[in-house]
Amino acid sequence: MSQISRRARVRQLADSVWPGRTVNGYANLIAARLRKLADEGSTGMLPVSGHGDGAVFFRDGQVVYAESSRTSPPVARARDLAALGLVPGEAPGSAGADGTDAAGTVATRSVSRLGGMLELTELIIDALTELLSSESRYAKFRHAEVIPAGQGRPLAVETLLAEVQRRHEVLRQLAPVVTPDTTVTCESSLGLPSAQVSPAQWALLIRADDGTTPRGLAMQLGRSVFGTTIEVYWLVELGLLAVPGRPPALAGDQAAVMSFIRAVPGGKGSDA
Amino acid sequence: MIMPEAGELLAPVAAIEGFRLGCLVDASTGMVLASVQSQDAAATPTAAAGAADLVHMLTLLNGKLATGEILEDVMITFSDSFFMVRPVERDTEPRILLLVMADRHRTNLAMAHRSIRDLCAGFPA
Repeated sequence: MSQISRRARVRQLADSVWPGRTVNGYANLIAARLRKLADEGSTGMLPVSGHGDGAVFFRDGQVVYAESSRTSPPVARARDLAALGLVPGEAPGSAGADGTDAAGTVATRSVSRLGGMLELTELIIDALTELLSSESRYAKFRHAEVIPAGQGRPLAVETLLAEVQRRHEVLRQLAPVVTPDTTVTCESSLGLPSAQVSPAQWALLIRADDGTTPRGLAMQLGRSVFGTTIEVYWLVELGLLAVPGRPPALAGDQAAVMSFIRAVPGGKGSDA
Repeated sequence: MIMPEAGELLAPVAAIEGFRLGCLVDASTGMVLASVQSQDAAATPTAAAGAADLVHMLTLLNGKLATGEILEDVMITFSDSFFMVRPVERDTEPRILLLVMADRHRTNLAMAHRSIRDLCAGFPA
């Protein structure tokens, strides 16, 4: 007699009733809710729970902020930006009236803001990627809930959902080697190859002790969990980090190499 | 488009003769930040993903060679187009990539390369 858990039984029942909407499709339900909020031009907060708690903040139907207890909080990064005067909402070159005269001047100012905004936006999308995982579910939308001070640039829901879908596909590709919650250790064998790493990778290496996970490293450094998982993957490929228990034969297995191209949904399309 | 304000930065490359597609890509995540394209351009997400993959593989190569060098740019010639990728900051850790695709039969490669290099040089080190 087979013994299956209550959870597995629920999953089986759901699969049989909703062929296209399995229990893993909770994320689809949240996506549908986000689309509806966008269509209605809502302003407020959608609480989401699951593996970790979090919320998605809307303003006029666009996402301006999201945070999850399992990703680095964007609000700290936003405060850093505000302290530097890189306040979201300003157009490139708007810091000074004469900023648009020379292309170089515009580019310099813009990329400063661009780099800062990228870090903030990355953390917001990182939180959303976590919140739209398979085990998450949403609660009642709270209209006109106060939006945190660390709000980012308004982002269209469809654009975000496409990006989250792409990220989930990348994470699926990485899963045979490393997930955000895989324990990694520093490779300390005598046969360690010489290698060149970036400052960001070095920051991970010097913090990778026993029991470290990409998520833990990301939280420690205030970085994106998604981006850190990819960096850890490349460090494993370089032979500088190891996944305990991973068969050595897989170490050089290039068949499973991660590819952003394979994560692009559909085929020919455009995000423009 | 995740960061529409970045689109303004692409104006100079859009002026390249034979221009087809220009986009800024977050190298670490493969996310398209902004893009501009002509009507006959290839699919932006796919081209951007390809650029990020290329840079990742070259960074891996560079990491294993451990010569202390940094990636300056990637120039690929297809039968009908040029595919050019350049980190916008000269760093051991390229964060943002500029991808430009152009019609091979209409584009002066040297001039295009110069435009791309000049644009990227405008970004702070």
